[in-house]
Amino acid sequence: MTPPSPLFASAFRALVVAAVVLLAPTAFAGSVKTEHVEAELVAARTALVPGEPLTVALRLSMEKGWHTYWRNPGDSGLPTTLAWNLPAGVEAGPIAWPAPHALPVGPLVNFGYDGEVLLLVDVTPARTLPVGNALVLKARADWLVCKELCIPEGADLTLTLPVENTSLADARWSAPIAAARSALPRPLAGWRATADGKGQTIEMKLVPPSGAADPGALHFFPFEESKIEPSRPQEVSRDGGAFVLRLPVSFNLTGDFGRVAGVLTAANGFSDGIRAATLDIALTGAIAAGPKPALEPAPALNLAPQAADDGLSLALAMVFAFVGGIVLNLMPCVFPVLSLKVLGFATHHDSRATLHKEAFAFAAGVVLTFVVLGLALAALRAAGEQLGWGFQLQSPAVVAVLAALFFVLALNLSGVFEFGQLTPSALAGFTARNRTVDAFASGVLAVVIASPCTAPFMGAALGYALAGSTAVMLVVFVALGIGMAVPYVTLALLPGWRRRLPRPGPWLLRLKELLAFPLYATVIWLAWVLGAQRDNDAVIHLLLALLCLGFALWTWRIVRTGGARPWGIAGIAALVAAVVLAWPLFRADADATAVAPPGYAPTAAGTQWQPYTPAVVAELTASGRAVFVDFTAAWCVTCQVNKRLVLNAADVRSAFARKNVALVRADWTRRDPDITRALTALGRTGVPVYVLYRPGREPLLLPEVLLRQTVQDALASL
Amino acid sequence: MRLLSIALSACIALVAAIPALAAAPGGPAPGFTITDTAGKPVSLADYRGKYVVLEWTNPECPFVQKHYVSRNMQGLQAEWGAKEVVWLSVNSTNANHSEFKSGDEMANWMRAQGGSPRATLIDGTSAAGRAYGAKTTPHMFVVDPAGKLIYNGAIDDRRSSNPADTKGANNYVRAALTEATAGKPVTVASTAPYGCSVKY
Repeated sequence: MTPPSPLFASAFRALVVAAVVLLAPTAFAGSVKTEHVEAELVAARTALVPGEPLTVALRLSMEKGWHTYWRNPGDSGLPTTLAWNLPAGVEAGPIAWPAPHALPVGPLVNFGYDGEVLLLVDVTPARTLPVGNALVLKARADWLVCKELCIPEGADLTLTLPVENTSLADARWSAPIAAARSALPRPLAGWRATADGKGQTIEMKLVPPSGAADPGALHFFPFEESKIEPSRPQEVSRDGGAFVLRLPVSFNLTGDFGRVAGVLTAANGFSDGIRAATLDIALTGAIAAGPKPALEPAPALNLAPQAADDGLSLALAMVFAFVGGIVLNLMPCVFPVLSLKVLGFATHHDSRATLHKEAFAFAAGVVLTFVVLGLALAALRAAGEQLGWGFQLQSPAVVAVLAALFFVLALNLSGVFEFGQLTPSALAGFTARNRTVDAFASGVLAVVIASPCTAPFMGAALGYALAGSTAVMLVVFVALGIGMAVPYVTLALLPGWRRRLPRPGPWLLRLKELLAFPLYATVIWLAWVLGAQRDNDAVIHLLLALLCLGFALWTWRIVRTGGARPWGIAGIAALVAAVVLAWPLFRADADATAVAPPGYAPTAAGTQWQPYTPAVVAELTASGRAVFVDFTAAWCVTCQVNKRLVLNAADVRSAFARKNVALVRADWTRRDPDITRALTALGRTGVPVYVLYRPGREPLLLPEVLLRQTVQDALASL
Repeated sequence: MRLLSIALSACIALVAAIPALAAAPGGPAPGFTITDTAGKPVSLADYRGKYVVLEWTNPECPFVQKHYVSRNMQGLQAEWGAKEVVWLSVNSTNANHSEFKSGDEMANWMRAQGGSPRATLIDGTSAAGRAYGAKTTPHMFVVDPAGKLIYNGAIDDRRSSNPADTKGANNYVRAALTEATAGKPVTVASTAPYGCSVKY
């Protein structure tokens, strides 16, 4: 009766895969967990083949917020070292370092890695090595791991590999090691690079091959310390077709500086898609020690604009909130629920007093829900959570519940079941008598589904509200709620126009069924949001759960209208199946705080949007480029509309390209404390937010309802 | 007229270059006035006419601990203090930072380590750190009696946090002071410092 649960199928599949992985002959190694890092030695293949080099990697998996260092650690720190203790006949080469990241530490800059890194080493067994035994490769890995505090850590690691005539690719590590190897910095093919010393800066000129695309933000990481100053900006400019990178000579210039050697990274990659290149070129001209780095307490770039919001008084914030609330009725998020309210008008031809009561009940529902949401948000932020407005839709569980709710409402409008049949008669009677309760509930629903959309004016008012005291916040939120309820209440209170509506008839039924479709569209949108937060499997789980739910409601109607018992059993079984299918979505909340949403890729091919990190904006503006940051989320319909209609428009994209504006996308679909912090710094708490950072000038905040002309005007100011 | 404008531009260029030369080895050591652990203001100018060693320190840093656990730093402080060199230990941790140490805390720590600098300075606004471009703890500077910076960089050439590495390491501070006090020019005037970052 119930559909076979996909849960079983995937569980069985997982078991089989696990068995295969565990039983297959693989390299044996153990991982060592220190306080902040998990370290292990892993190999790309399952065995050592005499005479064939094998790639082995030191895997360092760092706790979030902590980092380890590159061969040149930058302003401070110490590179990771690996000291091998190898059996006879086996030799290990030096570490092949992946391209580093510039990690700001206050005003200083370190070069290193966060998250997880694979430091590759080539291990070569001698051709004469006897086959058949297992060899134990030992190494002592020492590293410095820092966040605010620095802790030297180390581990004694072993890797046991059999010596055989052939080897297989390691099931777990072959692919990641191959990916790390292909991402290793390598010499630039087709590009010509020269370095000319001009006193305190070195001009590195890069001439691309013809047809090469814009490499994006460039950064040079020298192999040696005390040659190039890590924390000073490296300005990029164009010289005809060539790119000129101005490298600041180190303040503590030490030793001879005859060659410029290091790694050059490009945000958009070089010609053949590689993102990091090694350079080793002779230095011509003359250099001198550079100026002292500006070690100011705040980063050199003022990332928080001097917005007009600073001058927002309580009165003005209330006005903004009120107007924003009214405009919220027009936003794409609210429209489905609005259609339900319009239906309420058309069906209930009764006394003005009842209508007034319902209208005020709706308004009360709206205002109270805003206040409750605001209090919840304030309480969570006070408890330290990095959340912003719309936080409720960052959770897959909430999205799933809302999708189910809207599906049920749509089924009701489509006539699959009636609320009266569903509930016992006493409750139905209560609801019929207390349409005020119903109106209140629909007010609550309207806010829950509408809140992620930040209407114009609302953004500034919300920022002011959440930065103030609880009383201030309550007042602004109440103004917002009143603004949102005002259009409906006004329509309800206006005399006369309802008398001109025709009496209920077949037209009403048809209208009711028609209004189900916007609700189905909302369900589809929520399913897409869930897909962006998680993956395709989650969407299938949701859709199947909704299917079971629909079936259950349909069988319930049959039972209530006198159908046979087996239908009831089928209905209950379907309901249970729906809950079981949806269960993983609720438990997945822990995953909802991951940083990069996997299934949510930029739509048009060739878009050059870089993902947002705290360092990337500073890096890009330091190189002299303007940066346009799009703070967006999958569940924010306004954001999606703006993206498709404006940001992806051909003329806007060509304007961005002409002005060499770097494009950064801050995707807030899932909880991301870094993005939340950036929004707070801009005086905002929700999305969308559009900022144009202009080097040397104040950042420019664009309005939430984005027009092509607005973007063009902003770019013209560059 | 043209000569005047050229001369004027040259003067302006020279003046503009002076801040750039600040804290560069061979240049004048930047002045500062910061308070010691007892709250008394201490200036670099107070010690004009003597050799001054500036040791950037932070008790929380494993690299600083390396030199104190091995008693390397205390040995240097005692050895050169006896030769009338003024040793100043500076903690430029920002007053709002979690690792900030108050005057009492630094005094207690230095006493527990058996250190003997002339003064331990609390640079809560990080002004001195910024003036010198101090990047790491430890980061060492040596100033000669004329107020010129003659060494800027690491304490020694063993870049690790292992206390055992202080033995046998080439100590740049000792080398610079030995050469300068003997009237010879300092051979290694600038090295890359190593350690934890200064907590600005």
